Amino acid sequence: MSQTNRTLNRILLALLGLVLLAAGVLTAAAGLIPEVSAAWTSTAASGLDRSRELLATAPLPGAAWSWWAVGPVAGLVLAAALSVAWLASQGGGRTPRAATDVDGDRGSTVVDIGFVAACVSDALAGNRQVLGTSVSAWRVHGATGLQLRLEARKGASPREIADTAEQLVLGLDRLLGHPVPVLVRITSGTRSRLAGVNRVR
Amino acid sequence: MNAERTRRRLIRRETHSSRAAASIAAAAVLAAGFLWLAAEAALALLGRNALLAGPAQLGQWLAGIPAATLPAGLMAAGAGMALLGVLLLGTALRAGRLPRHPLGSERSAVVADDDVIAAAVSARARRTAGLAPGQVTTTVGHRSVQVQVRPTSGLPVDAAAIREAVADELAGYAMDRRIAPRVTISREGVLGQ
Repeated sequence: MSQTNRTLNRILLALLGLVLLAAGVLTAAAGLIPEVSAAWTSTAASGLDRSRELLATAPLPGAAWSWWAVGPVAGLVLAAALSVAWLASQGGGRTPRAATDVDGDRGSTVVDIGFVAACVSDALAGNRQVLGTSVSAWRVHGATGLQLRLEARKGASPREIADTAEQLVLGLDRLLGHPVPVLVRITSGTRSRLAGVNRVR
Repeated sequence: MNAERTRRRLIRRETHSSRAAASIAAAAVLAAGFLWLAAEAALALLGRNALLAGPAQLGQWLAGIPAATLPAGLMAAGAGMALLGVLLLGTALRAGRLPRHPLGSERSAVVADDDVIAAAVSARARRTAGLAPGQVTTTVGHRSVQVQVRPTSGLPVDAAAIREAVADELAGYAMDRRIAPRVTISREGVLGQ
């Protein structure tokens, strides 16, 4: 339920893949075809000469550097900053508050996620099908959404667990006073593997 | 936003990968590379010693690659880069489905892991046929459910009853896509169950 920008991830990964693919094909072609190799060497040599000439022109006032020397440094720093921004954009959106209600200037009421988690684990304490629960709150389109993770016993019917969760969510709606978006995840985990099958049914 | 749209969006996001792992790896490598190049360029500008190699040295190296490397080495390096590029493209363009299925529900978005569904289908088939744990194996794919039953030696199982039970169990999940289960009864039974 995190707020990762998935479209951005796909676009940037695709672009990076294309760049790597092109560079790889060029390198392989340089090994395979002598003309490509010669063109590589001559283009790079002329490029180096040109950059040396440019470095000497367009001097910055009051310093020994030129715009052509400062520009690339700034560009590289910008590119590094953008990469870090992409890195930082992964995940996010989790909040410790299940619900908030602001009551004018008299104050606000905050329902902590721990309260909802305690309600859920209390309600499912006697349930043989559910081995563990965890509840988290996430920001979903400006509102707060809840995620309920229910760890199923091995062989337990997900339908029965989903119906139990449905009742639970209806109870939460009454408790919180208004319906919130809810995601129910029925998972297996270490506890499912260790607890074994429920044979008495 | 309308509740039904939110519900569908939650399900879509929960059953498909966000590519966060690949993005984190790519962004970390890019950030490290750009920071290093920026540091080298700045040091060269200030006239200090380079960390590993200055911009001029890097340029010379880049220009000299085809002359200094064996063609086979160039081809291998190129193939490696191209392969990495294709992998990244694949990660970006494929659907990125996770092994989970949404279950029908009125109020909330419900998503179950495929191994939970497989274990439940196996348990239902086993109870129907009166078999021991381990005699029924179920594999759940994106559009398929395969149930493999190994009956106890000498005791034939009622294949039709198992098929009906499995179909009933799956119908109860009310998944967005109807999945026709395939039940196979193996010819060789198992002993001592």
